[in-house]
Amino acid sequence: MKAPHTLTTVLLIAVAFVAPLLVDAVRRNYRLAGDNSGFEPVQPIAYSHRLHAGELGIDCQHCHSGAETSRMAGIPPANTCMNCHTFVTAPFNAVRAEDEAAARENRKPRRIISPELRKLYNALGLDEELHPDSAMEQSAIQWVRIHAVPDFASFDHRAHLGAGVDCQTCHGEVQTMERVRQVSTLSMGWCVNCHRDANANGIKGRKVNAPLDCAACHY
Amino acid sequence: MKHKSQDNPQGEFPEEFGSQSRRSFLRLAGFTFAGVALAGCEQSRIEKAIPYLIKPEEITPGKASWYASTCRGCSAGCGILVKNRDGRPIKIEGNPDHPVSRGGVCAIGQAMVLGIYDSMRLTGPLINGSLSTWNAVDRTVAGTLQSLQSKNRGVRILTGALNGPTEKVILDGFLRRFSNAKHIVWSALSQSAILEAHRLTHGMRVLPRYRFDKADVIVSFDADFLGTWISPVEFTRGYTEKRSLKGMPPMCSYHVQVESRLSLTGAKADRRIVIAPAERIALIQELYSALTGKRAGSEMARLGRRLQEARGRSLVVCGSNDLQAQLLINAINHALGNYGGTIDLNTPSYQHQSDDRAVQGLVEEMREGNVGALFLAGVNPVADLPNGSEFAGLMKNIPLVVSFADHVDETSSQATIIAPDHHFLESWSDAEPVDGIVTVNQPVIAPLGNTRSLMESLSIWSGRPKSALQLMQETWSRSVFPRRKKGMGFQEFWDRAVHDGFVEVHPTRRVLPRFRPGSVEPPVAQAVTEGFTAVLYPKVTVLDGRHAQNAWLQEIPDPITKITWDNYAILSPEAAEKIGGMSGDIVRLSLPDGSSALELPAWVQPGQPESVVAVALGYGRKGTERFTSIGPKWLQGRPSTGPNGLVGVNASVFLEFDNGEVKYERNGIKIEKTGRRSVLACTQTYHSVDSPPLLAGEQRHRRPLVQMTSLAEFAADPTAGSYPKPESRSLWSEEHHYDGYHWGMVIDLNACTGCAACVVSCQAENNIPVVGKDEVLRNREMHWLRIDRYFMENDGTTDVVHQPMLCHHCDNAPCETVCPVQATVHSSEGLNQQIYNRCVGTRYCANNCPYKIRRFNWFDYPRDNEKENMVLNPDVTVRSRGVMEKCSFCVQRIQEARIEAKRQGTTIRDDQLKTACEQSCPARAIAFGDLNNPETRVSMLAKDPRQYQILAELEIRPTVSYMTVVKNRLDVKEQDNV
Repeated sequence: MKAPHTLTTVLLIAVAFVAPLLVDAVRRNYRLAGDNSGFEPVQPIAYSHRLHAGELGIDCQHCHSGAETSRMAGIPPANTCMNCHTFVTAPFNAVRAEDEAAARENRKPRRIISPELRKLYNALGLDEELHPDSAMEQSAIQWVRIHAVPDFASFDHRAHLGAGVDCQTCHGEVQTMERVRQVSTLSMGWCVNCHRDANANGIKGRKVNAPLDCAACHY
Repeated sequence: MKHKSQDNPQGEFPEEFGSQSRRSFLRLAGFTFAGVALAGCEQSRIEKAIPYLIKPEEITPGKASWYASTCRGCSAGCGILVKNRDGRPIKIEGNPDHPVSRGGVCAIGQAMVLGIYDSMRLTGPLINGSLSTWNAVDRTVAGTLQSLQSKNRGVRILTGALNGPTEKVILDGFLRRFSNAKHIVWSALSQSAILEAHRLTHGMRVLPRYRFDKADVIVSFDADFLGTWISPVEFTRGYTEKRSLKGMPPMCSYHVQVESRLSLTGAKADRRIVIAPAERIALIQELYSALTGKRAGSEMARLGRRLQEARGRSLVVCGSNDLQAQLLINAINHALGNYGGTIDLNTPSYQHQSDDRAVQGLVEEMREGNVGALFLAGVNPVADLPNGSEFAGLMKNIPLVVSFADHVDETSSQATIIAPDHHFLESWSDAEPVDGIVTVNQPVIAPLGNTRSLMESLSIWSGRPKSALQLMQETWSRSVFPRRKKGMGFQEFWDRAVHDGFVEVHPTRRVLPRFRPGSVEPPVAQAVTEGFTAVLYPKVTVLDGRHAQNAWLQEIPDPITKITWDNYAILSPEAAEKIGGMSGDIVRLSLPDGSSALELPAWVQPGQPESVVAVALGYGRKGTERFTSIGPKWLQGRPSTGPNGLVGVNASVFLEFDNGEVKYERNGIKIEKTGRRSVLACTQTYHSVDSPPLLAGEQRHRRPLVQMTSLAEFAADPTAGSYPKPESRSLWSEEHHYDGYHWGMVIDLNACTGCAACVVSCQAENNIPVVGKDEVLRNREMHWLRIDRYFMENDGTTDVVHQPMLCHHCDNAPCETVCPVQATVHSSEGLNQQIYNRCVGTRYCANNCPYKIRRFNWFDYPRDNEKENMVLNPDVTVRSRGVMEKCSFCVQRIQEARIEAKRQGTTIRDDQLKTACEQSCPARAIAFGDLNNPETRVSMLAKDPRQYQILAELEIRPTVSYMTVVKNRLDVKEQDNV
């Protein structure tokens, strides 16, 4: 007599637990565990890949220089930014406006620093004239990591670049993104499909040997 | 979290992973109900990616850089290469070009990398036990030294072997400021008698450089030269080269070990003669007489003949710190013409310089109150001296005691000031282990604490503050650079030395001193005493206890006893019978006058005389109480420490000064059973499988795991000693084909000494956790590579063979067929892959593995010390609870090599890829590589007639194979024929 009641109760509780999850899952398009595609966090500095990689056409590896030689492409250190931003401190329009204003008012133009670049200079402890200011503390720029595979999987940029894979194959058309968004799922199935496809069709007409062994990534 | 900035460098480790709210608990509960299909609708935790602000030029994140340096784990001075990832040293490897160690590193050297991140290491100077500043230290030292100079009380510096040119110059410069100052060198494992004997016979107080690579006949009296004596890595390499079995007749030295306890070296010997320590001097005398033609017919006479036949190519060594014995040994080697051949006095060794007499003198001065200031570096006399507690008492009467120790230990806790030196990987320094070979230590990480280099401290107190690098370059330009062999400028000379980690220069001595025959006196026969003789020996992994706080070294099973986390009283089976005890019984060892006693568990083991009880030094150390709860915390967890709260007990109470030298043997020991019992965590019997008699058949008692033959049989038939392969049918139908690489390994058991260097190397490379004594007792040790030890009893003598055992990556792997989730599968290159994220922990695979090499994570092993976690290899997953793991053939190294080779458009060359165990092996016993490439070392060895596979009858096709042991005998069963 008692047993069916217990079973019903358990099932009811189970349904009660599962229902909100189902709703949630539907709302999120049945995303699998660990699938972060669409992730587009706000970064501490509103750096625009569209401007740098797209409009200005700077090569990805100019800043992500580890991609060719290391497993990590790397996020550029602030001193890489300073290669250009020692001189370029604000958008061209703003500088021109200030130059024109200065000419009108018959004074020397002031250095214009855009608010986003100010964050970079603050991190490096640079004052208004971009000189090191001992009163300012240097602080690391804490970017939010977008593309990440789990700790039990190893991804190596070198191998992929060496095989001729474009950055965009995994990272999407970053040169069009104002704020970077994860476009791929970075799931294992997605990786393996690409490896199979590469083995069958080659990459850019070149035959490649993309490993399918588990231990190619998991160790 | 007082020193947050140090414990959590760069703030990269999150402090908290968020507390669980009720809501998240419910969500988790729902997860279990809903199963995997709907799992993880949660956005992942926000991770930060923090680049350098200003990146150092030589660092590429994710890419390792290597720096040459010198190991300071002991005083042998082996060359090392330190692997740095993202600014942190994570692995030590041998420097193949180094003239002393030639590519090997021992277990201790491998474990040194853990020491940098030791959270108990002092983070700043202490004055009277409380944290202080360097300014305060400098003021106090300067003030006290000033006041001393007026009173003319002595300034004494007691150090371990100190052979760096710069160190010596700085020290001399410091001492020269005082009218009454002296530098005393002493080591807890003293070789004082050898030095003293050479002072008497050759007129110079030096340690000769022993050339085992030139010795065809080796007779060793209690010298554990492959394990702990002077420079084991150097000696192991030389020794195994002489036993390579190459050519015809096969090259194989003849090695006789005369010893009173079973040592690592004795285990390799062709002939082992077991003696009581009291008999040693008489035997050496007999050998000497035999060589000088005064006696014949005895065993020593036969040995003498054998030595005579190899004049100049033989070597007689003695590990006893007994001057009489060492004088006789010198006379023997002189009579054999070994000076200039196998014993090098032209370029002597500076690896040991201890002077026991001077230490006794120091204690005497301290008693008289003549010492005003005592500086201690690299020594722990309170724990290691025969009268250590007296030393501690006397230290209190000295106005200024400065210790440079990096831990609070027995001695430094009694010091007025502790001025902690850097870890050797954090500082500039140099060493000259052998005359003419000057090695460099360069910092590979910025100091983690507020420590200061010893050289800098002394230069400040000498009134000439300079950085260690400046001091070194100055000294080098004055005293090392002029000795250069090739013409070049100083900058080039210096850069090369730093790049290579060493530089070979002209030795300082040129003239071989003459032997003085009159200086050897016949020894006085030792009186036979009642009771047992305690033999106090250093263990291969713990030595004199200086690394007792290194958890890796504590958990390495001793190569002979296979016991972890303890020292014990080793008794022969006969002795155990006499006292009515067995392994695990706690026995009380006491001196006849009852002045000191030790209580420790007994361990019964063959291979030593009935009258001997062997006890390891270096245990019972202050600081090891930290290991009490090193294992996983759970209901039934028991501490890793003993009743005294420490790991083991300190046996140095049985040491004594005898005739000027520290004696490591003590006669007249009484042994009684206490009636209590203790458990010893021994790993040898771990995975023993006893088959039921009906199932096992004839093979029941003797599985052909170790093949051994004699040199005579081997010379006649290179396949001698092979067991016939039993007929069997395969359960597997498929043949495996490997088109690209096929990874395999061959381990030469004839070269392997069982030194455990590979075990620690594997542990460091593969993030293997330490589990603690209790877990080891539960057979849950985690080492991927273990070394099995086999005793073979032949006519009352014991042969020992060590067999490294790791995953055999079988072609027909039995583990793979039983995994229900395919978490262990075969790769296209012959690897047996273990996929942690697929594993659900059924443990079927471990059950089905015939080699018993799989390890299960019963717990999330403690990784809560963020500083110590920095030693982790970022290329290898840290496994979590419920997951099986095992040797991966260092697949992360394979991947690294493969990708680099692909980048350059080539295939992996044999020298580009070495597994961690292979790289570290001082004996080059391990060969790993591509079996499909006929030119690799491994494929050549795989075709050697000595090669064999174990458990081949199961048709599992292992890719790890072994090579037969060859003993230099006529018949393998009889030691006494050559």
